[in-house]
Amino acid sequence: MYNLLDAQLTPVAHVLIVVGIMLVIALVFGFLIMVVSKKFAVDVDEREETVLGCLAGANCGGCGKAGCAALAHSLVEGKGEIDDCPVTDKKNKLKIAEILGVDYAGGGEFIYVVNCGGGINAKDRNDYLGESGCVRQSMVSGGRKFCSTACLGDGSCVSVCDNDAVSVIDGVAYIDTDKCIKCGKCARTCPKTLITKIPASAVVYVKCSTKCRGKEVMDACAKGCIGCGICAKNCAQKAITMVDNLPRVDYSKCVGCGYCVEKCPRKVFHFVDRTRDENRDKKG
Amino acid sequence: MFKMIPAIIFAAMLSQNFILVQFLGICPFLGVSKNTKSAFGMGMAVTAVMFIATLITYPLYTYLLKPLGFDYMEIIVFIFVIASLVQVIEIILKKTSKSLYEAMGIYLPLITTNCAVLGVTELVLTSELVVTMLDACAYGLFGGLGFTLAIVLMSGMREKLDTVKVPKAFEGFPITMLLACFMAMAFSMF
Repeated sequence: MYNLLDAQLTPVAHVLIVVGIMLVIALVFGFLIMVVSKKFAVDVDEREETVLGCLAGANCGGCGKAGCAALAHSLVEGKGEIDDCPVTDKKNKLKIAEILGVDYAGGGEFIYVVNCGGGINAKDRNDYLGESGCVRQSMVSGGRKFCSTACLGDGSCVSVCDNDAVSVIDGVAYIDTDKCIKCGKCARTCPKTLITKIPASAVVYVKCSTKCRGKEVMDACAKGCIGCGICAKNCAQKAITMVDNLPRVDYSKCVGCGYCVEKCPRKVFHFVDRTRDENRDKKG
Repeated sequence: MFKMIPAIIFAAMLSQNFILVQFLGICPFLGVSKNTKSAFGMGMAVTAVMFIATLITYPLYTYLLKPLGFDYMEIIVFIFVIASLVQVIEIILKKTSKSLYEAMGIYLPLITTNCAVLGVTELVLTSELVVTMLDACAYGLFGGLGFTLAIVLMSGMREKLDTVKVPKAFEGFPITMLLACFMAMAFSMF
């Protein structure tokens, strides 16, 4: 084929040819992309963009999705909950509800609590001399405790927390609600999945996760729920039901009277407010 | 016609492995190797782009740029082609296979700037193994598979690494670099 370089081109002509080649390639691919994007156009819900604009945009992953865009997508599809996002403020959440046309009253803010009160009260089955961290410890036949749902107190949740909100007190993890940014890292890390969400308005919560029967619990832990059901019987609001030998609190019914805390023979019910909780311990 | 293919497979996947021997595409190798699933997704996406990129750039170079005497323009033209291709593949994937798009979606744009892809298109021009168009495509395909092999091996080891105690000074990135170093040494012995 004819070699253009041998043809003694002037520099200007040379540059023009180079530009010409690039231009041709650019046009070909530009046209290709245009055709393909027309042919393979995907209908994107316009609301997705606006919803994304209202979200906090921190991409923290607190909702459990890959990022804010993923949450916006699932919200528009109706799969996600607005309250999955812990960071967006209420004003913007109401705006999102308006865009999506769903009922949202707000107040769906939540806090994280640790559903175990065992710690030093829960007996050890054996010693654990391995490397520290509950994730590692639980790999060795589920950790050193008799109770299979006991907090191991070895601090995996403490080490993942970026805000020093989690600490281990008396062998049980405790989450400082004021410092917690609700990212949910600890809840995802805990090998026993003891860290759960409850509404921010909650007054009481259950500090035990065992599904075992009374006798086994008595042998394993001084603070475990034996599933007696006294709380459910005494609740005036009928907010407590017994599921799998454990009380489950319906927070939409709970008025926060604290009668369950008073009545529980095993002191499994605790106040969310820590000073109130400690005062009760002194009295009891 | 096919006699070079076994040699190309061996060279592209193992003895001239893009990551571990030629040190191309280190960025996704260290960035996307935290778990095996996403590493595999990344590897497959790179393989696809490498194959299709060679399929287009090799004839473009041999039949257009070289005869015209403009072979020094290869890099700018190739980057152009790769970037457009990634764009096109992304659009097509989004429409045809939603699940594959979601699995690969975030890695696809990254591939545009992956030097292993540009590397393969450049290498097939100079490699003595590559004579025909078919050789070039095979080099692209198996180079991508070699990339996948390295990144999946790495991610498997990094998953194991999460459960062992590492000395404080080596925690996190340093131990990963050491791992990569030992892997590269093993691959260099071919």
